[in-house]
Amino acid sequence: MKHRSFLLYLPITLLLTPFFLAPMAVIGTQSFSGQQGIAAEYAKVVTDQGIRTVLYNTFYVAAMVTIFSLLIGYPIAYVLARLRGRWATVGIFLIFLPFWASTVIRSFAWMILLGRKGPVNSILVGIGFIEDPIRFIDNGLGLMIAMTYIMVPFIVVPILNGLRTIDPNLSRAAAVLGANPLRQFLAVTLPLSLPNVAVGCTIVFVTSLGFFVTPSLLGGDLTVVSMLISEQANRLLDWPLASALAIIVLLLTIVIFALLRFSQLASRRTGKAQAGVFA
Amino acid sequence: MSVPEKKLWAAWSRFLNGLVGALLIGFLVPILVVVAVSFQSKSYLSFPPTEFSLRWYQQFIGNDDYRSAILNSMLIGASAAALATIAGISTALAVVRAKVPGSTIVSALSVAPAILPQIVLAIGLFPISVWLGLQGTLWAVILAHAVIGLPFPFITVCGALASYSNRIEIASMTLGANSFQTFRLITFPMIRPAVIAGFIFAFAASLDELVLALFLSSPSTRTLPLLLWEQLNFQVTPEIAAAATVILAVTSLLILAATLLPRLGKDN
Repeated sequence: MKHRSFLLYLPITLLLTPFFLAPMAVIGTQSFSGQQGIAAEYAKVVTDQGIRTVLYNTFYVAAMVTIFSLLIGYPIAYVLARLRGRWATVGIFLIFLPFWASTVIRSFAWMILLGRKGPVNSILVGIGFIEDPIRFIDNGLGLMIAMTYIMVPFIVVPILNGLRTIDPNLSRAAAVLGANPLRQFLAVTLPLSLPNVAVGCTIVFVTSLGFFVTPSLLGGDLTVVSMLISEQANRLLDWPLASALAIIVLLLTIVIFALLRFSQLASRRTGKAQAGVFA
Repeated sequence: MSVPEKKLWAAWSRFLNGLVGALLIGFLVPILVVVAVSFQSKSYLSFPPTEFSLRWYQQFIGNDDYRSAILNSMLIGASAAALATIAGISTALAVVRAKVPGSTIVSALSVAPAILPQIVLAIGLFPISVWLGLQGTLWAVILAHAVIGLPFPFITVCGALASYSNRIEIASMTLGANSFQTFRLITFPMIRPAVIAGFIFAFAASLDELVLALFLSSPSTRTLPLLLWEQLNFQVTPEIAAAATVILAVTSLLILAATLLPRLGKDN
Protein backbone atom coordinates (compact mmCIF):
# COMPACT_ATOMS: atom_id res chain seq x y z
CA MET A 1 0.00 0.00 0.00
CA LYS A 2 2.68 2.47 1.07
CA HIS A 3 4.71 1.56 -2.02
CA ARG A 4 1.82 2.21 -4.37
CA SER A 5 1.15 5.67 -3.00
CA PHE A 6 4.61 6.68 -4.23
CA LEU A 7 3.07 6.37 -7.71
CA LEU A 8 1.25 9.65 -6.97
CA TYR A 9 4.65 11.36 -7.30
CA LEU A 10 5.06 9.95 -10.82
CA PRO A 11 3.46 12.81 -12.82
CA ILE A 12 5.34 15.55 -10.98
CA THR A 13 8.60 13.61 -11.28
CA LEU A 14 8.10 13.21 -15.02
CA LEU A 15 7.34 16.94 -15.34
CA LEU A 16 9.85 18.54 -13.00
CA THR A 17 12.90 16.29 -13.48
CA PRO A 18 13.50 17.06 -17.18
CA PHE A 19 11.89 20.52 -17.32
CA PHE A 20 12.75 22.10 -13.99
CA LEU A 21 15.52 20.29 -12.14
CA ALA A 22 17.59 19.43 -15.22
CA PRO A 23 17.50 23.07 -16.45
CA MET A 24 18.83 24.18 -13.04
CA ALA A 25 21.61 21.60 -13.31
CA VAL A 26 22.35 22.76 -16.87
CA ILE A 27 22.79 26.42 -15.93
CA GLY A 28 24.87 25.31 -12.95
CA THR A 29 27.31 23.38 -15.15
CA GLN A 30 27.27 25.94 -17.94
CA SER A 31 28.16 28.74 -15.55
CA PHE A 32 31.43 26.93 -14.72
CA SER A 33 32.28 26.00 -18.31
CA GLY A 34 33.51 29.36 -19.56
CA GLN A 35 36.56 29.30 -21.83
CA GLN A 36 38.69 31.38 -19.46
CA GLY A 37 38.51 28.93 -16.58
CA ILE A 38 36.13 27.48 -14.06
CA ALA A 39 35.15 30.51 -12.02
CA ALA A 40 35.93 33.06 -14.74
CA GLU A 41 32.29 34.00 -15.34
CA TYR A 42 31.68 34.69 -11.66
CA ALA A 43 34.91 36.73 -11.52
CA LYS A 44 33.61 38.73 -14.49
CA VAL A 45 30.37 39.45 -12.65
CA VAL A 46 32.30 40.79 -9.66
CA THR A 47 34.87 42.85 -11.59
CA ASP A 48 33.05 44.07 -14.72
CA GLN A 49 31.86 47.63 -14.13
CA GLY A 50 28.99 47.29 -16.61
CA ILE A 51 27.60 44.14 -15.01
CA ARG A 52 27.94 45.67 -11.55
CA THR A 53 25.93 48.67 -12.70
CA VAL A 54 23.22 46.37 -14.05
CA LEU A 55 23.05 44.46 -10.75
CA TYR A 56 22.94 47.75 -8.84
CA ASN A 57 20.09 49.02 -11.10
CA THR A 58 18.16 45.80 -10.55
CA PHE A 59 18.45 46.08 -6.75
CA TYR A 60 17.70 49.80 -6.79
CA VAL A 61 14.55 49.39 -8.91
CA ALA A 62 13.38 46.37 -6.88
CA ALA A 63 13.94 48.24 -3.58
CA MET A 64 12.13 51.38 -4.77
CA VAL A 65 9.23 49.33 -6.17
CA THR A 66 8.97 47.47 -2.84
CA ILE A 67 8.84 50.78 -0.90
CA PHE A 68 6.27 52.31 -3.28
CA SER A 69 4.13 49.16 -3.23
CA LEU A 70 4.18 49.10 0.57
CA LEU A 71 3.24 52.80 0.84
CA ILE A 72 0.30 52.32 -1.54
CA GLY A 73 -0.61 48.76 -0.59
CA TYR A 74 -0.72 49.13 3.20
CA PRO A 75 -3.46 51.82 3.30
CA ILE A 76 -5.48 49.82 0.73
CA ALA A 77 -5.18 46.64 2.82
CA TYR A 78 -5.94 48.60 6.02
CA VAL A 79 -9.17 50.07 4.64
CA LEU A 80 -10.23 46.80 2.94
CA ALA A 81 -9.64 44.87 6.19
CA ARG A 82 -12.23 47.01 7.99
CA LEU A 83 -14.84 46.61 5.25
CA ARG A 84 -17.44 43.87 5.62
CA GLY A 85 -19.65 41.98 3.23
CA ARG A 86 -20.25 43.21 -0.28
CA TRP A 87 -17.88 46.21 -0.20
CA ALA A 88 -14.94 44.03 0.82
CA THR A 89 -15.65 41.77 -2.18
CA VAL A 90 -15.91 44.78 -4.50
CA GLY A 91 -12.60 46.17 -3.20
CA ILE A 92 -10.76 42.89 -3.67
CA PHE A 93 -12.33 42.49 -7.11
CA LEU A 94 -11.10 45.99 -8.13
CA ILE A 95 -7.58 45.20 -6.91
CA PHE A 96 -7.49 41.95 -8.86
CA LEU A 97 -9.05 43.15 -12.10
CA PRO A 98 -5.84 44.68 -13.55
CA PHE A 99 -3.88 41.83 -11.94
CA TRP A 100 -5.31 39.48 -14.56
CA ALA A 101 -4.41 41.68 -17.53
CA SER A 102 -1.24 40.44 -19.16
CA THR A 103 2.03 42.07 -18.06
CA VAL A 104 2.72 43.04 -21.67
CA ILE A 105 -0.63 44.83 -21.86
CA ARG A 106 -0.20 46.61 -18.53
CA SER A 107 3.27 47.80 -19.54
CA PHE A 108 1.82 48.95 -22.86
CA ALA A 109 -0.84 50.91 -20.96
CA TRP A 110 1.87 52.81 -19.09
CA MET A 111 3.75 53.44 -22.34
CA ILE A 112 0.63 55.30 -23.51
CA LEU A 113 -0.01 57.03 -20.18
CA LEU A 114 3.55 58.20 -19.59
CA GLY A 115 4.53 59.04 -23.16
CA ARG A 116 5.84 62.53 -23.95
CA LYS A 117 2.42 63.49 -25.30
CA GLY A 118 0.51 61.09 -23.07
CA PRO A 119 -2.33 61.99 -20.71
CA VAL A 120 -0.13 62.27 -17.60
CA ASN A 121 2.15 64.84 -19.21
CA SER A 122 -0.82 66.69 -20.77
CA ILE A 123 -2.50 66.99 -17.37
CA LEU A 124 0.68 68.05 -15.55
CA VAL A 125 1.46 70.69 -18.21
CA GLY A 126 -2.22 71.68 -18.38
CA ILE A 127 -2.49 72.51 -14.69
CA GLY A 128 0.83 74.34 -14.88
CA PHE A 129 2.63 71.92 -12.56
CA ILE A 130 5.48 71.52 -15.04
CA GLU A 131 6.44 73.48 -18.15
CA ASP A 132 7.99 70.77 -20.30
CA PRO A 133 6.78 67.18 -20.51
CA ILE A 134 8.68 64.81 -18.18
CA ARG A 135 10.65 62.07 -19.95
CA PHE A 136 9.31 59.27 -17.72
CA ILE A 137 10.57 56.52 -19.97
CA ASP A 138 14.21 57.60 -19.89
CA ASN A 139 14.80 58.23 -16.22
CA GLY A 140 13.56 54.96 -14.72
CA LEU A 141 10.64 56.72 -13.01
CA GLY A 142 8.13 55.38 -15.57
CA LEU A 143 9.54 51.89 -15.06
CA MET A 144 9.10 52.12 -11.28
CA ILE A 145 5.56 53.51 -11.63
CA ALA A 146 4.52 50.70 -13.98
CA MET A 147 6.18 47.98 -11.86
CA THR A 148 4.58 49.35 -8.69
CA TYR A 149 1.21 49.25 -10.45
CA ILE A 150 1.82 45.60 -11.31
CA MET A 151 3.14 44.63 -7.85
CA VAL A 152 0.61 46.33 -5.50
CA PRO A 153 -1.88 43.38 -5.51
CA PHE A 154 0.97 41.07 -4.42
CA ILE A 155 1.52 43.11 -1.25
CA VAL A 156 -2.15 43.91 -0.50
CA VAL A 157 -3.20 40.26 -0.22
CA PRO A 158 -0.74 39.11 2.50
CA ILE A 159 -1.15 42.34 4.52
CA LEU A 160 -4.94 42.11 4.23
CA ASN A 161 -4.85 38.50 5.44
CA GLY A 162 -2.68 39.54 8.37
CA LEU A 163 -4.87 42.50 9.36
CA ARG A 164 -8.00 40.35 9.27
CA THR A 165 -6.62 37.93 11.84
CA ILE A 166 -5.91 40.70 14.38
CA ASP A 167 -8.46 40.61 17.19
CA PRO A 168 -10.37 43.95 17.03
CA ASN A 169 -10.72 43.80 20.82
CA LEU A 170 -7.01 44.63 21.11
CA SER A 171 -7.55 48.05 19.50
CA ARG A 172 -10.66 48.52 21.62
CA ALA A 173 -8.66 47.75 24.75
CA ALA A 174 -6.06 50.33 23.71
CA ALA A 175 -8.86 52.86 23.11
CA VAL A 176 -10.31 52.21 26.57
CA LEU A 177 -6.86 52.78 28.03
CA GLY A 178 -6.87 56.23 26.40
CA ALA A 179 -4.92 55.67 23.15
CA ASN A 180 -6.08 57.82 20.24
CA PRO A 181 -6.56 56.10 16.85
CA LEU A 182 -3.01 56.93 15.78
CA ARG A 183 -1.53 55.37 18.91
CA GLN A 184 -3.88 52.38 18.60
CA PHE A 185 -2.50 51.87 15.12
CA LEU A 186 1.17 52.39 16.05
CA ALA A 187 1.09 50.36 19.26
CA VAL A 188 -1.28 47.52 18.28
CA THR A 189 -2.21 47.11 14.62
CA LEU A 190 1.11 47.99 12.97
CA PRO A 191 3.36 45.70 15.08
CA LEU A 192 0.93 42.79 14.72
CA SER A 193 0.82 43.20 10.95
CA LEU A 194 4.61 43.34 10.52
CA PRO A 195 5.11 39.59 9.84
CA ASN A 196 2.72 39.81 6.90
CA VAL A 197 4.32 43.06 5.74
CA ALA A 198 7.59 41.11 5.62
CA VAL A 199 5.97 38.38 3.50
CA GLY A 200 4.48 40.93 1.08
CA CYS A 201 7.73 42.89 0.77
CA THR A 202 9.72 39.72 0.13
CA ILE A 203 7.35 38.60 -2.62
CA VAL A 204 7.42 42.04 -4.27
CA PHE A 205 11.19 42.41 -3.99
CA VAL A 206 12.01 38.96 -5.35
CA THR A 207 9.48 39.24 -8.20
CA SER A 208 10.85 42.68 -9.06
CA LEU A 209 14.38 41.27 -9.30
CA GLY A 210 13.23 39.00 -12.14
CA PHE A 211 11.19 41.51 -14.17
CA PHE A 212 11.90 41.43 -17.88
CA VAL A 213 8.96 42.75 -19.93
CA THR A 214 8.34 46.07 -18.17
CA PRO A 215 12.01 47.15 -17.96
CA SER A 216 12.52 46.30 -21.63
CA LEU A 217 9.57 48.45 -22.68
CA LEU A 218 9.78 51.28 -20.14
CA GLY A 219 13.34 51.21 -18.85
CA GLY A 220 14.85 53.44 -21.54
CA ASP A 221 18.63 53.20 -21.13
CA LEU A 222 18.31 51.42 -17.82
CA THR A 223 19.25 47.73 -18.01
CA VAL A 224 18.23 45.16 -15.38
CA VAL A 225 19.68 41.69 -14.88
CA SER A 226 16.95 39.76 -16.77
CA MET A 227 17.56 41.91 -19.85
CA LEU A 228 21.31 41.34 -19.54
CA ILE A 229 20.85 37.55 -19.25
CA SER A 230 18.59 37.51 -22.30
CA GLU A 231 21.01 39.68 -24.27
CA GLN A 232 24.05 37.57 -23.36
CA ALA A 233 22.25 34.37 -24.38
CA ASN A 234 20.34 35.53 -27.46
CA ARG A 235 22.48 38.20 -29.05
CA LEU A 236 26.02 37.62 -27.80
CA LEU A 237 25.66 33.83 -27.40
CA ASP A 238 27.69 34.01 -24.17
CA TRP A 239 25.81 31.17 -22.44
CA PRO A 240 28.35 30.68 -19.62
CA LEU A 241 28.00 34.31 -18.53
CA ALA A 242 24.20 34.22 -18.95
CA SER A 243 24.13 31.04 -16.82
CA ALA A 244 26.37 32.53 -14.13
CA LEU A 245 24.04 35.55 -13.90
CA ALA A 246 21.01 33.24 -13.78
CA ILE A 247 22.63 31.22 -10.97
CA ILE A 248 23.25 34.43 -9.03
CA VAL A 249 19.58 35.46 -9.42
CA LEU A 250 18.48 31.93 -8.43
CA LEU A 251 20.68 31.89 -5.31
CA LEU A 252 19.53 35.39 -4.32
CA THR A 253 15.89 34.28 -4.60
CA ILE A 254 16.53 31.22 -2.44
CA VAL A 255 18.55 33.18 0.14
CA ILE A 256 15.89 35.92 0.47
CA PHE A 257 13.09 33.38 0.95
CA ALA A 258 15.22 31.36 3.38
CA LEU A 259 15.83 34.56 5.40
CA LEU A 260 12.09 35.22 5.50
CA ARG A 261 11.38 31.66 6.63
CA PHE A 262 14.13 31.87 9.23
CA SER A 263 12.78 35.15 10.63
CA GLN A 264 9.26 33.66 10.73
CA LEU A 265 10.48 30.63 12.68
CA ALA A 266 12.58 32.82 15.00
CA SER A 267 9.68 35.17 15.76
CA ARG A 268 7.35 32.23 16.33
CA ARG A 269 9.83 30.83 18.83
CA THR A 270 10.18 34.12 20.73
CA GLY A 271 6.38 34.49 20.53
CA LYS A 272 6.03 31.10 22.20
CA ALA A 273 8.62 32.05 24.81
CA GLN A 274 6.69 35.23 25.59
CA ALA A 275 3.42 33.33 25.76
CA GLY A 276 5.17 31.00 28.20
CA VAL A 277 6.08 33.97 30.43
CA PHE A 278 2.47 35.11 30.49
CA ALA A 279 1.21 31.65 31.23
CA MET B 1 -11.27 62.14 23.84
CA SER B 2 -12.73 65.62 23.45
CA VAL B 3 -15.46 66.21 20.89
CA PRO B 4 -13.39 68.23 18.35
CA GLU B 5 -10.66 65.61 18.55
CA LYS B 6 -13.20 62.89 17.81
CA LYS B 7 -14.43 64.86 14.82
CA LEU B 8 -10.86 65.21 13.59
CA TRP B 9 -10.28 61.45 13.72
CA ALA B 10 -13.61 60.77 12.02
CA ALA B 11 -12.63 63.19 9.24
CA TRP B 12 -9.24 61.49 8.91
CA SER B 13 -10.92 58.09 8.65
CA ARG B 14 -13.25 59.37 5.92
CA PHE B 15 -10.27 60.90 4.11
CA LEU B 16 -8.42 57.58 4.24
CA ASN B 17 -11.45 55.68 2.90
CA GLY B 18 -11.85 58.22 0.11
CA LEU B 19 -8.15 58.03 -0.77
CA VAL B 20 -8.22 54.24 -1.00
CA GLY B 21 -11.45 54.34 -3.02
CA ALA B 22 -9.79 56.76 -5.44
CA LEU B 23 -6.70 54.52 -5.62
CA LEU B 24 -8.79 51.43 -6.40
CA ILE B 25 -10.66 53.22 -9.16
CA GLY B 26 -7.36 54.71 -10.36
CA PHE B 27 -6.11 51.15 -10.78
CA LEU B 28 -8.59 50.71 -13.59
CA VAL B 29 -7.40 53.80 -15.48
CA PRO B 30 -4.49 52.20 -17.38
CA ILE B 31 -6.75 49.37 -18.56
CA LEU B 32 -9.48 51.80 -19.63
CA VAL B 33 -6.91 53.90 -21.49
CA VAL B 34 -5.90 50.87 -23.57
CA VAL B 35 -9.56 50.16 -24.36
CA ALA B 36 -10.18 53.82 -25.27
CA VAL B 37 -7.12 54.01 -27.54
CA SER B 38 -8.27 50.91 -29.44
CA PHE B 39 -11.41 52.70 -30.64
CA GLN B 40 -9.66 55.70 -32.15
CA SER B 41 -9.28 56.40 -35.84
CA LYS B 42 -5.77 57.92 -35.99
CA SER B 43 -2.86 55.70 -36.89
CA TYR B 44 -0.74 56.79 -33.92
CA LEU B 45 -1.54 56.58 -30.24
CA SER B 46 -3.35 59.69 -29.11
CA PHE B 47 -5.25 60.22 -25.92
CA PRO B 48 -8.03 61.21 -25.48
CA PRO B 49 -9.28 59.66 -28.72
CA THR B 50 -11.07 62.17 -30.92
CA GLU B 51 -13.01 60.06 -33.39
CA PHE B 52 -14.65 56.70 -32.76
CA SER B 53 -13.70 53.96 -35.20
CA LEU B 54 -13.51 50.19 -35.44
CA ARG B 55 -10.80 50.15 -38.09
CA TRP B 56 -8.18 48.67 -35.75
CA TYR B 57 -10.54 45.84 -34.86
CA GLN B 58 -11.09 45.17 -38.56
CA GLN B 59 -7.35 45.14 -39.10
CA PHE B 60 -6.92 42.90 -36.05
CA ILE B 61 -9.51 40.40 -37.29
CA GLY B 62 -7.97 40.34 -40.76
CA ASN B 63 -4.44 39.82 -39.42
CA ASP B 64 -3.28 36.22 -39.91
CA ASP B 65 -0.42 36.65 -37.44
CA TYR B 66 -2.89 37.31 -34.65
CA ARG B 67 -5.11 34.45 -35.72
CA SER B 68 -2.31 31.89 -35.58
CA ALA B 69 -0.90 33.41 -32.37
CA ILE B 70 -4.31 33.17 -30.65
CA LEU B 71 -4.68 29.57 -31.83
CA ASN B 72 -1.17 28.72 -30.56
CA SER B 73 -1.83 30.41 -27.22
CA MET B 74 -5.11 28.55 -26.73
CA LEU B 75 -3.57 25.21 -27.68
CA ILE B 76 -0.49 25.75 -25.50
CA GLY B 77 -2.56 27.14 -22.61
CA ALA B 78 -5.06 24.27 -22.59
CA SER B 79 -2.42 21.52 -22.93
CA ALA B 80 -0.08 23.08 -20.36
CA ALA B 81 -2.93 23.65 -17.90
CA ALA B 82 -4.12 20.04 -18.37
CA LEU B 83 -0.63 18.64 -17.66
CA ALA B 84 -0.17 20.99 -14.71
CA THR B 85 -3.56 20.00 -13.30
CA ILE B 86 -2.89 16.26 -13.53
CA ALA B 87 0.50 16.66 -11.84
CA GLY B 88 -1.00 19.09 -9.31
CA ILE B 89 -3.87 16.79 -8.29
CA SER B 90 -1.73 13.72 -7.91
CA THR B 91 0.97 15.59 -5.95
CA ALA B 92 -1.64 17.21 -3.70
CA LEU B 93 -3.14 13.75 -3.02
CA ALA B 94 0.31 12.42 -2.14
CA VAL B 95 1.11 15.35 0.14
CA VAL B 96 -2.24 15.92 1.90
CA ARG B 97 -3.92 12.48 1.87
CA ALA B 98 -1.39 9.70 1.41
CA LYS B 99 1.27 11.61 3.42
CA VAL B 100 3.96 10.02 1.27
CA PRO B 101 7.48 10.63 2.66
CA GLY B 102 9.29 13.64 1.18
CA SER B 103 6.18 15.80 1.11
CA THR B 104 7.98 18.91 2.44
CA ILE B 105 10.53 19.01 -0.35
CA VAL B 106 7.97 18.05 -3.01
CA SER B 107 5.64 20.85 -1.85
CA ALA B 108 8.50 23.35 -1.99
CA LEU B 109 9.41 22.18 -5.51
CA SER B 110 5.77 22.39 -6.64
CA VAL B 111 5.50 26.02 -5.58
CA ALA B 112 9.02 27.04 -6.65
CA PRO B 113 8.17 27.72 -10.33
CA ALA B 114 5.86 30.54 -9.19
CA ILE B 115 8.72 32.32 -7.42
CA LEU B 116 11.65 31.59 -9.71
CA PRO B 117 12.30 34.35 -12.30
CA GLN B 118 11.24 32.94 -15.66
CA ILE B 119 14.44 34.06 -17.35
CA VAL B 120 16.38 31.60 -15.15
CA LEU B 121 14.20 28.69 -16.26
CA ALA B 122 14.32 29.88 -19.87
CA ILE B 123 18.14 29.87 -19.94
CA GLY B 124 18.23 26.32 -18.56
CA LEU B 125 15.38 24.95 -20.66
CA PHE B 126 16.68 26.15 -24.01
CA PRO B 127 19.62 23.68 -24.26
CA ILE B 128 17.41 20.83 -22.99
CA SER B 129 14.70 21.65 -25.50
CA VAL B 130 17.31 21.62 -28.30
CA TRP B 131 18.80 18.38 -27.00
CA LEU B 132 15.40 16.64 -26.85
CA GLY B 133 14.54 17.90 -30.34
CA LEU B 134 11.60 19.90 -28.98
CA GLN B 135 12.96 23.34 -29.86
CA GLY B 136 10.55 25.29 -32.06
CA THR B 137 7.70 22.81 -31.55
CA LEU B 138 4.56 23.53 -29.55
CA TRP B 139 5.68 20.89 -27.02
CA ALA B 140 8.65 22.98 -25.89
CA VAL B 141 6.37 25.83 -24.79
CA ILE B 142 3.61 23.49 -23.51
CA LEU B 143 5.99 21.64 -21.17
CA ALA B 144 7.63 24.87 -19.95
CA HIS B 145 4.21 26.38 -19.27
CA ALA B 146 3.08 23.19 -17.52
CA VAL B 147 5.97 23.75 -15.08
CA ILE B 148 5.06 27.39 -14.35
CA GLY B 149 1.34 26.50 -14.16
CA LEU B 150 1.88 23.65 -11.67
CA PRO B 151 1.77 25.78 -8.46
CA PHE B 152 -1.84 26.90 -9.11
CA PRO B 153 -3.70 23.54 -9.25
CA PHE B 154 -1.34 22.19 -6.58
CA ILE B 155 -2.23 25.01 -4.16
CA THR B 156 -5.99 25.03 -4.90
CA VAL B 157 -6.33 21.23 -4.66
CA CYS B 158 -4.23 21.07 -1.46
CA GLY B 159 -6.60 23.66 -0.01
CA ALA B 160 -9.68 21.68 -1.05
CA LEU B 161 -8.31 18.39 0.31
CA ALA B 162 -7.39 20.00 3.62
CA SER B 163 -10.87 21.52 3.95
CA TYR B 164 -12.69 18.21 4.54
CA SER B 165 -11.93 15.15 6.59
CA ASN B 166 -10.70 11.99 4.87
CA ARG B 167 -13.31 9.92 6.77
CA ILE B 168 -15.63 9.70 3.76
CA GLU B 169 -12.76 8.31 1.70
CA ILE B 170 -11.99 5.78 4.41
CA ALA B 171 -15.70 4.86 4.53
CA SER B 172 -15.68 4.31 0.77
CA MET B 173 -12.63 2.05 1.05
CA THR B 174 -14.21 0.13 3.95
CA LEU B 175 -17.28 -0.50 1.78
CA GLY B 176 -15.05 -2.21 -0.75
CA ALA B 177 -14.17 0.49 -3.30
CA ASN B 178 -10.60 0.40 -4.56
CA SER B 179 -8.50 3.59 -4.51
CA PHE B 180 -9.32 4.50 -8.11
CA GLN B 181 -13.08 4.09 -7.55
CA THR B 182 -12.80 6.13 -4.36
CA PHE B 183 -11.02 8.90 -6.24
CA ARG B 184 -13.54 8.90 -9.11
CA LEU B 185 -16.70 8.70 -6.98
CA ILE B 186 -15.74 10.52 -3.77
CA THR B 187 -12.57 12.60 -3.93
CA PHE B 188 -12.88 14.08 -7.41
CA PRO B 189 -16.45 15.38 -6.96
CA MET B 190 -15.32 16.98 -3.66
CA ILE B 191 -12.32 18.76 -5.18
CA ARG B 192 -13.81 19.50 -8.62
CA PRO B 193 -14.27 23.27 -8.04
CA ALA B 194 -10.63 23.56 -6.92
CA VAL B 195 -9.52 21.53 -9.95
CA ILE B 196 -11.41 23.84 -12.31
CA ALA B 197 -10.06 26.97 -10.59
CA GLY B 198 -6.51 25.60 -10.65
CA PHE B 199 -6.83 24.70 -14.33
CA ILE B 200 -8.05 28.19 -15.24
CA PHE B 201 -5.32 29.91 -13.22
CA ALA B 202 -2.70 27.73 -14.91
CA PHE B 203 -4.28 28.52 -18.29
CA ALA B 204 -4.20 32.25 -17.52
CA ALA B 205 -0.55 32.01 -16.40
CA SER B 206 0.31 30.42 -19.75
CA LEU B 207 -1.65 33.07 -21.66
CA ASP B 208 0.36 35.80 -19.90
CA GLU B 209 3.79 34.21 -20.17
CA LEU B 210 6.34 35.83 -22.45
CA VAL B 211 9.93 35.04 -21.47
CA LEU B 212 9.80 31.24 -21.89
CA ALA B 213 7.90 31.63 -25.17
CA LEU B 214 10.58 34.09 -26.31
CA PHE B 215 13.29 31.46 -25.85
CA LEU B 216 11.45 28.29 -26.81
CA SER B 217 9.15 29.12 -29.72
CA SER B 218 9.69 29.54 -33.45
CA PRO B 219 7.77 31.94 -35.75
CA SER B 220 5.19 29.21 -36.40
CA THR B 221 4.61 28.51 -32.69
CA ARG B 222 4.52 32.18 -31.70
CA THR B 223 2.15 32.92 -28.80
CA LEU B 224 -0.07 35.96 -28.34
CA PRO B 225 2.07 37.80 -25.74
CA LEU B 226 5.10 37.15 -27.94
CA LEU B 227 3.39 38.66 -30.98
CA LEU B 228 2.27 41.70 -28.93
CA TRP B 229 5.83 42.02 -27.68
CA GLU B 230 7.32 41.89 -31.18
CA GLN B 231 4.81 44.48 -32.40
CA LEU B 232 5.54 46.78 -29.45
CA ASN B 233 9.25 46.61 -30.20
CA PHE B 234 8.64 47.17 -33.91
CA GLN B 235 5.94 49.78 -34.26
CA VAL B 236 3.30 50.92 -31.78
CA THR B 237 -0.11 51.21 -33.42
CA PRO B 238 -3.65 51.19 -32.01
CA GLU B 239 -4.01 47.70 -33.49
CA ILE B 240 -2.06 46.45 -30.47
CA ALA B 241 -4.60 48.20 -28.24
CA ALA B 242 -7.44 46.48 -30.13
CA ALA B 243 -5.74 43.10 -29.68
CA ALA B 244 -5.11 43.89 -26.01
CA THR B 245 -8.78 44.80 -25.51
CA VAL B 246 -9.93 41.50 -26.98
CA ILE B 247 -7.47 39.60 -24.77
CA LEU B 248 -8.63 41.57 -21.72
CA ALA B 249 -12.24 40.68 -22.45
CA VAL B 250 -11.43 36.96 -22.84
CA THR B 251 -9.23 36.82 -19.73
CA SER B 252 -11.87 38.62 -17.64
CA LEU B 253 -14.47 36.05 -18.71
CA LEU B 254 -12.10 33.21 -17.80
CA ILE B 255 -11.39 34.68 -14.36
CA LEU B 256 -15.07 35.35 -13.79
CA ALA B 257 -15.75 31.69 -14.62
CA ALA B 258 -12.95 30.59 -12.26
CA THR B 259 -14.39 32.57 -9.37
CA LEU B 260 -18.08 31.86 -10.04
CA LEU B 261 -17.98 28.14 -10.97
CA PRO B 262 -16.84 26.94 -7.54
CA ARG B 263 -19.70 28.93 -5.93
CA LEU B 264 -22.24 27.44 -8.32
CA GLY B 265 -20.86 24.00 -7.48
CA LYS B 266 -21.41 24.67 -3.78
CA ASP B 267 -25.06 25.59 -4.32
CA ASN B 268 -25.88 22.29 -5.99
